[in-house]
Amino acid sequence: MPQAFDVQNPPFDRLTYSEGEKLRSKLDIGYWGPGQTVIPQGGGAEHLHVIIKGAVEERDGDEPLAVLHAKDSFDAQALVQGMAGSAFVATEETLCYLVPKDVILDLIKANSGFAAFFYSELSRKLSDYAEQQGDGAGSVNNVLRARVRDTRLHEVCYIDGTASIKDAARMMEDYHNNTLFVKDGERIGIITGTNLSKSAVLMEMPLSTKVRDVAHFDIFAVDSDDFIFEALIKMTRHRVRRLAVVSGGQFVGTLEDIDILGLVAGNTQLIPGRIDRARSVADLEPAARDIQDQVARLHRQDVKVDVIAEITSELNRALFSKLFSFIAPPSIKEAGCLIVMGSEGRREQTVRTDQDNGLLLAHPVPEEDLAAFRRDFTAALERFDFPPCPGNIMVGNPQWSQTVDGFIQQLKSWVLTPDDLSAMNLGVFYDAVPVTGDPALLERAKSAMRNLMRGESAYLARFARAIDQFEEASASVLASIMATVGVGSDVIHIKRSGVFPIVHGVRVMSIDTGVIATSTMERIDALAAMSVIGEEFAGDLKSALAYFMELRLRSQLVAMRTGRQEEEAIVHIKELSSRERDLMREALKVTKKFREIVRSRYHLSAM
Amino acid sequence: MLRFIKRKLAWSALKDRSYEFLFHDMGLDEVVSIDCETTGLNPRKDDIVSVGAVKITRNLIRTSAAFNVKVKPRKELTAESIKIHQITKSEVADGASIQSELPALLHFIGNRPLVGYWISFDVKMLNKEVFRMLGITLQNPTIDVCDMYYDRKYSKAPPGTKIDLRFAAILEDLQLPPLQAHDALNDAISTAQMYLALKDLKSRGAYLKRVRNRDAPALPVG
Repeated sequence: MPQAFDVQNPPFDRLTYSEGEKLRSKLDIGYWGPGQTVIPQGGGAEHLHVIIKGAVEERDGDEPLAVLHAKDSFDAQALVQGMAGSAFVATEETLCYLVPKDVILDLIKANSGFAAFFYSELSRKLSDYAEQQGDGAGSVNNVLRARVRDTRLHEVCYIDGTASIKDAARMMEDYHNNTLFVKDGERIGIITGTNLSKSAVLMEMPLSTKVRDVAHFDIFAVDSDDFIFEALIKMTRHRVRRLAVVSGGQFVGTLEDIDILGLVAGNTQLIPGRIDRARSVADLEPAARDIQDQVARLHRQDVKVDVIAEITSELNRALFSKLFSFIAPPSIKEAGCLIVMGSEGRREQTVRTDQDNGLLLAHPVPEEDLAAFRRDFTAALERFDFPPCPGNIMVGNPQWSQTVDGFIQQLKSWVLTPDDLSAMNLGVFYDAVPVTGDPALLERAKSAMRNLMRGESAYLARFARAIDQFEEASASVLASIMATVGVGSDVIHIKRSGVFPIVHGVRVMSIDTGVIATSTMERIDALAAMSVIGEEFAGDLKSALAYFMELRLRSQLVAMRTGRQEEEAIVHIKELSSRERDLMREALKVTKKFREIVRSRYHLSAM
Repeated sequence: MLRFIKRKLAWSALKDRSYEFLFHDMGLDEVVSIDCETTGLNPRKDDIVSVGAVKITRNLIRTSAAFNVKVKPRKELTAESIKIHQITKSEVADGASIQSELPALLHFIGNRPLVGYWISFDVKMLNKEVFRMLGITLQNPTIDVCDMYYDRKYSKAPPGTKIDLRFAAILEDLQLPPLQAHDALNDAISTAQMYLALKDLKSRGAYLKRVRNRDAPALPVG
């Protein structure tokens, strides 16, 4: 009920509008006088406390650890584990909002950004993962309830405190272990590779420095029977990336954050091997599925979207190349160059949306060979779940699988036919890259196209006009974002309003100025290098594109999970956090400015 | 004794026996903070526009289960009152009447003590309606945060001290966060916070500091 509750205050800024409203409706307010205990040490809590006014001291026994003020919240551990690591005592007249435990647990499950606040960066990945396994409660708990002993622990290696840091480095090398336990009389400490390089390189300590002078003797430890979840809380609380693991009073190993990630992360390196070893089209099928599955996995691991796209493109090309080797008859293998185009060519495809591919031939091949290849190649890709290209830009279409001479004639007729379809064909082709076969064939066709179009301002203008295709929609959305910030049920079509205008505008300018690069990011760099666009603006444009691609990928993954394919390019503004709305607004502003640049360069307003 | 007789009279005057619970002590450790926004300050002529109320259980303000209604006043809203509480005619046009909301409110408050800022005014406004419905007035004990505040602030003040009991002044003195004022529920929540803070001061025998204030405004207005 209290509208005054500030949902802009972290971690609540990560909530969607409707989550924020729901939370507000469940809030109570509590009052504590000075000296009153809000949560006793070791006690549980039925609420997350968010301080409205006053001060709360966090204490370990009698020792004060921290003082919390307005907008601070406590205590995640008491809430989730039912046992506060320290006591929380009001030191002034204190009012707190009380968020019920159930509400917090639901939000942790539903909103990974919110969960991150509780379990740090790492655990966000865990809960993201759990969330994507589908059935809420069970899976979050499954992951978080694994025991420390279930992970692959690093062995315990001891080194004497009097040994030199040079000895320590050698020992790490010999034992392939980055963490050594240091025995120094009664004390036991830890020294890591990072400690060594810091002392040797940054602080220029001599290599004879004794290990005990650089080791840490405040070891944070977990029991091997503890939950992963508890280890995460400890890492978060103490801001460390590794913990010592104890069992029966003995050190039995170390646990690093990266090991926890290993519990859930997949292994990208496996796929190329699987493609390599394939002996038939059927063998390729699981690899094709893995490529798609790992997109979601890499995204969960916070890999940047352009890197995901690059890895995916690389693997897809390996897949196509192998498939080509199985399907193409000798005549086509000898004369052909298989190309991929569009987003696949620009290395911007993550979730498969279509297949844009073609075949250029150095000379004519027997018609029956070509017919069989067209049929089998397309059928195989369909089997691998590559959706057919809506514009029929596929090997299966004779226009896109012919001799390079024939294709150049085709390009000419497209240049001379000023309709949308020709413009789209030319645009998609300009993004082509060779996958296998003689790349010179593609280069011939491309340079023919550049010569046909370069400096043809009237044609380029018609070509450029496509960026205004969806202008109405995005202008009104922009206006409404500016106006509301917070409410409203508007949606943004991320491909039309964001990705496409940038990709296409950059493509037009690239054709115009003879830029050869195929990825949009590289093209932007090239345009900036030639001063076609400003250096700073180029940076803005790249950030905007990366942001749109990220959002697009997110919607695509959601659409895949929910089976609502029609939502794959849709972003619901109300589901964005306030920070994301700001980013979105900035990105749309950049796009708008870019449209204007393209429009004025090609005098579009005059047409 | 007088109180007892009044109670007896009210008991027999109660029109609807299903509201006998208004007389029963439910033995709950709860009070209700309540605020009414009205068309003006004259209980005889003016009407209720909205009512906000929250229960206070020990040290907790139950904002998650608050009572909050806007109602259609019997008379037209005046420009004066619209300026104060910012409830416009259109907002209350399709609101229910106070009579139809009263049963829910009575069940909400039961016989819990009522806490308010200048609570006698709110009770007068409510009694007008309760009487119309049940033939009795509210039996609940009342607690006025003005009195509590006066007690912690001015009870030991030398004569001639200027006294400031304005709602905003109390909020500020207790360092409570200002909510948008003249919203019945927000005011009830603020009042609940005042109540808990003042009750705590009293339990600790603590007093609020007085600064020598030179120009405090004369007297409170709702």
